[in-house]
Amino acid sequence: MAGLISISKTLNSMFKSFSSLSVMNISKTKCVPRTSSVVCPCSCFHATSVKQDLMEFFDDKNNWAKNEVKVGRSWKKDELRIKSNSDLHKLWFVLLKEKNMLLTMEHESKEQIQLFPNPERIDKVEESMKNLEDVVRERNEAYFKLETGQTGERPVCVRTGSLGLRYNHRMAEHIIPQFMNKEWQQRHKSYAHTRDVKNFITLYREKKFLEKRKARNRERNHVIGLMKRFPNLDFEAVKEQFPSVDIEKIRYQKKTRGHRENIC
Amino acid sequence: MRLSVVLCNKVADLTKQYSNLPESYIKRAMEQVYWRTPAAPQYLRREIKRKKYYFGVHRPWTAEFQAENQRGTIRKKVFVEPIREWSYFKGDRVEVLVGQDKGKQGIISQVIQERNWVIVEGLNCELKVYGKSKDFPGVYLKSEQPLLVTNEVALVDPSDLKSSAIEWRYTEAGQKVRVSVRTGRIVPIPKGAEETYDYKTKATYKESERDTKASEATEITFEPALKTFEMDIMECMGIQEDRVPAKTFWY
Repeated sequence: MAGLISISKTLNSMFKSFSSLSVMNISKTKCVPRTSSVVCPCSCFHATSVKQDLMEFFDDKNNWAKNEVKVGRSWKKDELRIKSNSDLHKLWFVLLKEKNMLLTMEHESKEQIQLFPNPERIDKVEESMKNLEDVVRERNEAYFKLETGQTGERPVCVRTGSLGLRYNHRMAEHIIPQFMNKEWQQRHKSYAHTRDVKNFITLYREKKFLEKRKARNRERNHVIGLMKRFPNLDFEAVKEQFPSVDIEKIRYQKKTRGHRENIC
Repeated sequence: MRLSVVLCNKVADLTKQYSNLPESYIKRAMEQVYWRTPAAPQYLRREIKRKKYYFGVHRPWTAEFQAENQRGTIRKKVFVEPIREWSYFKGDRVEVLVGQDKGKQGIISQVIQERNWVIVEGLNCELKVYGKSKDFPGVYLKSEQPLLVTNEVALVDPSDLKSSAIEWRYTEAGQKVRVSVRTGRIVPIPKGAEETYDYKTKATYKESERDTKASEATEITFEPALKTFEMDIMECMGIQEDRVPAKTFWY
């Protein structure tokens, strides 16, 4: 019995020391980025050399208050395609940690009213993560196409919405079939046949048509402006860049004649 | 979507290449959103932001660009002549065809594709006086002015160092090259074309501490197997799943 008590006492004292340490650690880490001289008391407590405390959320101390932190580019898809699944899995978490670190540093810099060096690092990490996800998708898609003949992605279909407009509907997984799901039916009720919706559709289409016509006219006027200003205009390039403009039609119009032609 | 506006405001490919930055960052850095609906499901996505940007000699992600496109500044529309294929790169030797330096040759130090401009080192300069007052003569600063690639500069043929029109052709090996129309010699693309904000050439790039080493990045560890990503990871971690999912319906 005495032995047990002593063990529990020591455990208790150890727990106490742990808790006091962890509290200290949190409070210190909060103010660490402000005063660079504070040494983390917890770092000597770990058996592993890797520091696994809240300081992992912050950048290396050498990079604090620097104007520029140079890093390379993001991972390309081709580079990720040659990596094994487990490598990609590890890399994902490396990138996630890096992103968390960068976002923390950005936030902390804002709090301290200081410059956050090279904010494009966040975009680089995000781009890498997106590429990684795409590569994983590609692999899964290949498997499912081979095994089931389908992509295995979330299915999409074109539906007519309640206001009579067609949209890409991303299907969802349900426990009961559609005809039994009264709530879903209620939510996706169509009003397309009603007079109000028909009027709305007419006006909506008119708006879209006018937008398109305006864009087309604006483009044509832009090309007219180009023809006016540049006597040696490359019409092939114009056709490539502005495919909707009929150049032959406007070529000999008075509007396209530049001032240079009024001289003689 | 207003197509013409989009075309006028695109950051050019060569600029992106020089920056060595992700596209999303360039977009984020030059964007000026004045008001945006909150990111909540009850709002339609609406934004009030600057639509037309003025592209000058400054790079789109810089503070100078921001200053040139300050809120409330409205500039006259700039007409930029469409060009089919861009053939002027950093490091090219060109002859200036206009201005006080007409006939002189120089090296392109900067390419601004958005405006069809190049800046030639030490040529076509302008003197500007800063801080001139009654008892101070002011400080004179000389700066190169941009030149249009369409009619103000011409590439120099390296075989006889005279300007010539060029054409893009293919070699027998299938490589696309610039060829001088006058002599038929190839005008090689200079090393400087490769240069970015971060490095001069790819080979001379210095790896930083956080970078993945090139040997690690190029190592092939992928082995094809008839598994999905999840199946492979579960196998690696020793997770076994034998539950059969219930039937579900997709709609």
